[in-house]
Amino acid sequence: MAKAPDDLIAAYLRRLADELRDLPKPRRTELVEEIREHIAEARTGLPSQDEVDVRNLLERLGDPGDIAAEARERFGIPPAKSGAREILALIFLPIGGVLLPFLGWFVGMALLWTSRVWTSRDKWIGTLLFPGGLAVPFFLAVFATSGGSCPTVSGGTRVIQTTCTGGPSGPEQALVVAGMIVLVVVPIATFVYLLVRLRRRTEVPALP
Amino acid sequence: MVARRNPAREAPIAQMRRGTLEYCVLALLRDEERYGFDLVRALGELDGMVTSEGTIYPLLSRLRRDGLVTTTWGESPSGPPRRYYRLTDAGREALDAFAREWTRFRDAVDHLMEGGGR
Repeated sequence: MAKAPDDLIAAYLRRLADELRDLPKPRRTELVEEIREHIAEARTGLPSQDEVDVRNLLERLGDPGDIAAEARERFGIPPAKSGAREILALIFLPIGGVLLPFLGWFVGMALLWTSRVWTSRDKWIGTLLFPGGLAVPFFLAVFATSGGSCPTVSGGTRVIQTTCTGGPSGPEQALVVAGMIVLVVVPIATFVYLLVRLRRRTEVPALP
Repeated sequence: MVARRNPAREAPIAQMRRGTLEYCVLALLRDEERYGFDLVRALGELDGMVTSEGTIYPLLSRLRRDGLVTTTWGESPSGPPRRYYRLTDAGREALDAFAREWTRFRDAVDHLMEGGGR
Protein backbone atom coordinates (compact mmCIF):
# COMPACT_ATOMS: atom_id res chain seq x y z
CA MET A 1 0.00 0.00 0.00
CA ALA A 2 1.45 3.33 -1.05
CA LYS A 3 1.72 5.93 1.65
CA ALA A 4 2.17 9.65 1.39
CA PRO A 5 5.67 10.69 2.54
CA ASP A 6 4.15 13.22 4.93
CA ASP A 7 2.16 10.48 6.62
CA LEU A 8 5.25 8.30 6.97
CA ILE A 9 7.13 11.14 8.62
CA ALA A 10 4.24 12.03 10.91
CA ALA A 11 3.95 8.38 11.97
CA TYR A 12 7.70 8.19 12.59
CA LEU A 13 7.66 11.30 14.79
CA ARG A 14 4.64 10.07 16.70
CA ARG A 15 6.39 6.78 17.42
CA LEU A 16 9.49 8.65 18.48
CA ALA A 17 7.56 10.86 20.92
CA ASP A 18 5.89 7.77 22.28
CA GLU A 19 9.17 5.87 22.74
CA LEU A 20 10.67 8.90 24.49
CA ARG A 21 7.93 9.04 27.11
CA ASP A 22 10.34 8.19 29.95
CA LEU A 23 12.30 11.40 29.37
CA PRO A 24 11.50 14.70 31.04
CA LYS A 25 9.14 16.66 28.80
CA PRO A 26 11.61 19.41 27.78
CA ARG A 27 14.14 16.79 26.64
CA ARG A 28 11.52 14.89 24.75
CA THR A 29 10.15 17.98 23.00
CA GLU A 30 13.66 19.09 22.12
CA LEU A 31 14.62 15.74 20.60
CA VAL A 32 11.45 15.41 18.56
CA GLU A 33 11.90 18.99 17.30
CA GLU A 34 15.51 18.43 16.30
CA ILE A 35 14.70 15.25 14.47
CA ARG A 36 11.80 16.99 12.74
CA GLU A 37 14.24 19.69 11.61
CA HIS A 38 16.72 17.04 10.49
CA ILE A 39 14.05 15.37 8.35
CA ALA A 40 12.99 18.70 6.83
CA GLU A 41 16.62 19.51 6.04
CA ALA A 42 17.30 16.06 4.60
CA ARG A 43 14.22 16.28 2.38
CA THR A 44 15.43 19.43 0.67
CA GLY A 45 18.44 17.42 -0.51
CA LEU A 46 16.47 14.47 -1.86
CA PRO A 47 16.41 13.82 -5.59
CA SER A 48 12.67 13.24 -5.38
CA GLN A 49 10.04 13.31 -2.70
CA ASP A 50 8.58 9.89 -3.32
CA GLU A 51 7.88 7.19 -0.78
CA VAL A 52 11.09 5.24 -1.39
CA ASP A 53 13.35 8.23 -0.77
CA VAL A 54 11.52 9.17 2.40
CA ARG A 55 11.64 5.59 3.65
CA ASN A 56 15.39 5.49 3.07
CA LEU A 57 15.78 8.77 4.88
CA LEU A 58 13.92 7.43 7.92
CA GLU A 59 15.91 4.20 7.73
CA ARG A 60 19.11 6.20 7.95
CA LEU A 61 17.82 8.03 10.98
CA GLY A 62 17.22 4.72 12.68
CA ASP A 63 14.51 3.07 14.69
CA PRO A 64 12.74 5.40 17.17
CA GLY A 65 13.22 2.70 19.80
CA ASP A 66 17.01 2.83 19.32
CA ILE A 67 17.04 6.63 19.49
CA ALA A 68 15.01 6.47 22.71
CA ALA A 69 17.32 3.81 24.20
CA GLU A 70 20.29 6.03 23.40
CA ALA A 71 18.55 9.03 24.95
CA ARG A 72 17.77 7.10 28.14
CA GLU A 73 21.38 6.06 28.36
CA ARG A 74 22.77 9.55 27.73
CA PHE A 75 20.49 11.01 30.39
CA GLY A 76 20.93 8.15 32.83
CA ILE A 77 17.28 7.18 32.89
CA PRO A 78 16.80 3.47 33.56
CA PRO A 79 14.41 1.77 31.15
CA ALA A 80 10.97 1.17 32.62
CA LYS A 81 10.89 -2.26 34.17
CA SER A 82 7.93 -4.51 34.02
CA GLY A 83 6.64 -5.57 37.40
CA ALA A 84 3.50 -6.65 39.20
CA ARG A 85 1.39 -4.08 37.36
CA GLU A 86 2.22 -5.53 33.95
CA ILE A 87 1.82 -9.14 35.08
CA LEU A 88 -1.59 -8.39 36.63
CA ALA A 89 -2.63 -6.50 33.50
CA LEU A 90 -1.72 -9.52 31.39
CA ILE A 91 -3.89 -11.72 33.64
CA PHE A 92 -6.84 -9.37 33.99
CA LEU A 93 -7.14 -8.29 30.35
CA PRO A 94 -7.95 -11.72 28.92
CA ILE A 95 -9.64 -13.48 31.85
CA GLY A 96 -10.41 -10.73 34.36
CA GLY A 97 -13.91 -10.42 32.95
CA VAL A 98 -14.49 -14.13 33.51
CA LEU A 99 -13.16 -14.20 37.07
CA LEU A 100 -14.91 -10.99 38.05
CA PRO A 101 -17.71 -10.54 35.51
CA PHE A 102 -17.27 -7.30 33.52
CA LEU A 103 -15.46 -5.47 36.30
CA GLY A 104 -12.31 -7.60 35.92
CA TRP A 105 -11.63 -6.36 32.43
CA PHE A 106 -11.80 -2.75 33.58
CA VAL A 107 -9.24 -3.57 36.26
CA GLY A 108 -7.01 -4.86 33.45
CA MET A 109 -7.65 -1.64 31.51
CA ALA A 110 -6.63 0.54 34.43
CA LEU A 111 -3.42 -1.46 34.87
CA LEU A 112 -2.64 -1.36 31.15
CA TRP A 113 -3.11 2.40 30.78
CA THR A 114 -1.13 3.29 33.89
CA SER A 115 1.85 1.16 32.84
CA ARG A 116 5.00 2.98 31.75
CA VAL A 117 6.27 0.02 29.80
CA TRP A 118 3.79 -0.28 26.94
CA THR A 119 3.51 2.38 24.26
CA SER A 120 0.23 4.15 23.49
CA ARG A 121 -0.10 2.02 20.39
CA ASP A 122 0.25 -1.15 22.47
CA LYS A 123 -2.36 0.19 24.85
CA TRP A 124 -4.86 0.86 22.09
CA ILE A 125 -4.32 -2.62 20.68
CA GLY A 126 -4.81 -4.06 24.17
CA THR A 127 -8.01 -2.07 24.54
CA LEU A 128 -9.69 -2.55 21.19
CA LEU A 129 -8.88 -6.24 20.52
CA PHE A 130 -11.36 -7.08 22.02
CA PRO A 131 -13.05 -5.18 24.82
CA GLY A 132 -13.96 -7.62 27.54
CA GLY A 133 -11.30 -10.17 26.61
CA LEU A 134 -12.28 -13.81 26.87
CA ALA A 135 -15.32 -12.92 28.98
CA VAL A 136 -17.28 -12.19 25.80
CA PRO A 137 -16.92 -15.66 24.19
CA PHE A 138 -17.16 -17.26 27.63
CA PHE A 139 -20.52 -15.76 28.50
CA LEU A 140 -21.78 -16.23 24.95
CA ALA A 141 -20.96 -19.93 25.24
CA VAL A 142 -22.66 -20.16 28.62
CA PHE A 143 -25.67 -18.34 27.23
CA ALA A 144 -25.79 -20.47 24.09
CA THR A 145 -25.69 -23.83 25.88
CA SER A 146 -28.43 -22.82 28.28
CA GLY A 147 -30.34 -20.63 25.84
CA GLY A 148 -31.44 -23.27 23.36
CA SER A 149 -34.63 -24.03 25.15
CA CYS A 150 -36.95 -26.91 24.43
CA PRO A 151 -40.23 -26.17 26.15
CA THR A 152 -42.32 -29.27 26.42
CA VAL A 153 -46.02 -28.94 26.18
CA SER A 154 -47.73 -31.71 28.03
CA GLY A 155 -51.36 -32.51 28.04
CA GLY A 156 -52.24 -34.69 30.97
CA THR A 157 -49.80 -37.60 30.99
CA ARG A 158 -49.06 -37.40 27.31
CA VAL A 159 -46.38 -35.24 25.71
CA ILE A 160 -48.09 -33.30 22.96
CA GLN A 161 -45.25 -31.25 21.50
CA THR A 162 -41.61 -30.44 22.05
CA THR A 163 -40.36 -27.29 20.31
CA CYS A 164 -36.70 -26.55 20.21
CA THR A 165 -35.49 -23.03 19.55
CA GLY A 166 -32.09 -21.41 19.44
CA GLY A 167 -30.30 -24.30 17.84
CA PRO A 168 -29.14 -23.02 14.47
CA SER A 169 -28.00 -25.61 12.01
CA GLY A 170 -25.95 -25.98 8.87
CA PRO A 171 -24.11 -22.93 7.50
CA GLU A 172 -25.52 -20.77 10.25
CA GLN A 173 -23.89 -22.94 12.86
CA ALA A 174 -20.59 -22.89 11.02
CA LEU A 175 -20.74 -19.11 11.07
CA VAL A 176 -21.39 -19.08 14.81
CA VAL A 177 -18.47 -21.45 15.40
CA ALA A 178 -16.16 -19.32 13.24
CA GLY A 179 -17.27 -16.21 15.12
CA MET A 180 -16.56 -17.89 18.43
CA ILE A 181 -13.08 -18.92 17.28
CA VAL A 182 -12.31 -15.32 16.32
CA LEU A 183 -13.59 -14.12 19.68
CA VAL A 184 -11.28 -16.57 21.46
CA VAL A 185 -8.21 -16.31 19.25
CA VAL A 186 -8.01 -12.51 19.02
CA PRO A 187 -7.78 -11.86 22.80
CA ILE A 188 -5.15 -14.61 23.07
CA ALA A 189 -3.18 -13.09 20.19
CA THR A 190 -3.41 -9.70 21.89
CA PHE A 191 -2.13 -11.25 25.10
CA VAL A 192 0.87 -12.73 23.26
CA TYR A 193 1.53 -9.42 21.50
CA LEU A 194 1.54 -7.48 24.79
CA LEU A 195 3.81 -10.08 26.36
CA VAL A 196 6.29 -9.85 23.49
CA ARG A 197 6.25 -6.04 23.63
CA LEU A 198 6.90 -6.21 27.35
CA ARG A 199 9.98 -8.37 26.88
CA ARG A 200 11.27 -6.28 24.02
CA ARG A 201 11.06 -3.11 26.07
CA THR A 202 12.69 -4.63 29.11
CA GLU A 203 15.79 -5.75 27.25
CA VAL A 204 19.00 -3.87 27.78
CA PRO A 205 19.25 -1.47 24.85
CA ALA A 206 21.70 -2.40 22.14
CA LEU A 207 24.73 -0.22 21.75
CA PRO A 208 24.62 2.07 18.76
CA MET B 1 14.42 -14.92 29.74
CA VAL B 2 16.55 -12.08 28.57
CA ALA B 3 20.08 -12.66 29.75
CA ARG B 4 21.48 -9.74 31.67
CA ARG B 5 24.24 -8.41 29.48
CA ASN B 6 27.41 -7.02 30.88
CA PRO B 7 28.21 -3.79 29.04
CA ALA B 8 31.79 -3.84 30.28
CA ARG B 9 32.47 -7.16 28.57
CA GLU B 10 30.28 -6.79 25.56
CA ALA B 11 31.58 -5.22 22.40
CA PRO B 12 34.50 -3.23 23.75
CA ILE B 13 34.88 -1.63 20.32
CA ALA B 14 31.32 -0.34 20.47
CA GLN B 15 31.97 0.98 23.97
CA MET B 16 35.09 2.75 22.81
CA ARG B 17 33.32 4.27 19.84
CA ARG B 18 30.53 5.43 22.08
CA GLY B 19 32.95 6.98 24.54
CA THR B 20 34.83 8.89 21.86
CA LEU B 21 31.79 9.98 19.86
CA GLU B 22 31.10 13.02 21.99
CA TYR B 23 34.65 14.28 21.50
CA CYS B 24 34.31 13.75 17.77
CA VAL B 25 31.28 16.04 17.91
CA LEU B 26 33.24 18.62 19.88
CA ALA B 27 36.15 18.31 17.43
CA LEU B 28 33.85 18.94 14.48
CA LEU B 29 32.78 22.16 16.19
CA ARG B 30 36.29 23.30 17.03
CA ASP B 31 36.68 25.73 14.16
CA GLU B 32 33.16 26.45 13.02
CA GLU B 33 29.58 26.31 14.14
CA ARG B 34 27.40 23.76 12.44
CA TYR B 35 23.72 22.95 12.27
CA GLY B 36 22.41 19.58 13.39
CA PHE B 37 21.95 17.98 10.01
CA ASP B 38 25.39 19.07 8.81
CA LEU B 39 26.99 17.71 11.99
CA VAL B 40 25.20 14.40 11.73
CA ARG B 41 26.14 13.95 8.07
CA ALA B 42 29.78 14.80 8.81
CA LEU B 43 29.86 12.14 11.54
CA GLY B 44 28.09 9.67 9.28
CA GLU B 45 30.87 10.03 6.73
CA LEU B 46 33.45 8.85 9.25
CA ASP B 47 33.77 5.15 8.71
CA GLY B 48 32.29 3.09 11.49
CA MET B 49 31.41 5.96 13.81
CA VAL B 50 27.65 6.07 13.50
CA THR B 51 25.15 3.45 12.45
CA SER B 52 21.92 5.37 12.82
CA GLU B 53 21.96 9.13 12.46
CA GLY B 54 19.12 9.75 14.86
CA THR B 55 21.15 8.53 17.83
CA ILE B 56 23.40 11.61 17.57
CA TYR B 57 20.61 13.91 18.73
CA PRO B 58 20.39 12.55 22.27
CA LEU B 59 24.14 13.13 22.52
CA LEU B 60 23.83 16.72 21.25
CA SER B 61 21.07 17.32 23.75
CA ARG B 62 23.25 15.96 26.54
CA LEU B 63 26.25 18.08 25.50
CA ARG B 64 24.08 21.16 25.47
CA ARG B 65 22.74 20.40 28.91
CA ASP B 66 26.25 19.86 30.21
CA GLY B 67 27.19 23.28 28.86
CA LEU B 68 29.78 22.00 26.40
CA VAL B 69 27.89 23.37 23.40
CA THR B 70 25.29 26.08 22.89
CA THR B 71 22.78 26.57 20.14
CA THR B 72 21.66 29.69 18.34
CA TRP B 73 19.17 30.11 15.55
CA GLY B 74 20.62 31.29 12.28
CA GLU B 75 19.41 31.99 8.78
CA SER B 76 19.54 29.27 6.19
CA PRO B 77 20.18 30.10 2.53
CA SER B 78 17.34 27.74 1.70
CA GLY B 79 14.31 27.00 3.82
CA PRO B 80 13.55 27.70 7.48
CA PRO B 81 16.11 28.95 10.07
CA ARG B 82 18.56 26.42 11.43
CA ARG B 83 19.76 25.65 14.93
CA TYR B 84 23.53 26.13 14.96
CA TYR B 85 25.75 24.38 17.49
CA ARG B 86 28.83 26.11 18.83
CA LEU B 87 31.53 25.06 21.28
CA THR B 88 31.53 26.82 24.67
CA ASP B 89 34.69 27.55 26.66
CA ALA B 90 33.96 24.51 28.81
CA GLY B 91 33.53 22.45 25.65
CA ARG B 92 36.87 23.63 24.31
CA GLU B 93 38.57 22.71 27.58
CA ALA B 94 36.99 19.26 27.59
CA LEU B 95 38.10 18.75 24.00
CA ASP B 96 41.68 19.83 24.69
CA ALA B 97 41.90 17.59 27.75
CA PHE B 98 40.60 14.65 25.72
CA ALA B 99 42.97 15.38 22.83
CA ARG B 100 45.97 15.17 25.19
CA GLU B 101 44.78 11.94 26.78
CA TRP B 102 43.90 10.49 23.40
CA THR B 103 47.37 11.11 21.99
CA ARG B 104 49.01 9.35 24.92
CA PHE B 105 46.55 6.48 24.78
CA ARG B 106 46.82 6.06 21.02
CA ASP B 107 50.61 6.11 21.09
CA ALA B 108 50.70 3.51 23.87
CA VAL B 109 48.28 1.20 22.05
CA ASP B 110 50.04 1.68 18.71
CA HIS B 111 53.34 0.86 20.36
CA LEU B 112 51.95 -2.45 21.64
CA MET B 113 50.07 -3.31 18.48
CA GLU B 114 53.15 -2.84 16.37
CA GLY B 115 55.08 -5.26 18.55
CA GLY B 116 57.11 -2.62 20.35
CA GLY B 117 56.31 -4.16 23.75
CA ARG B 118 58.47 -7.21 23.25
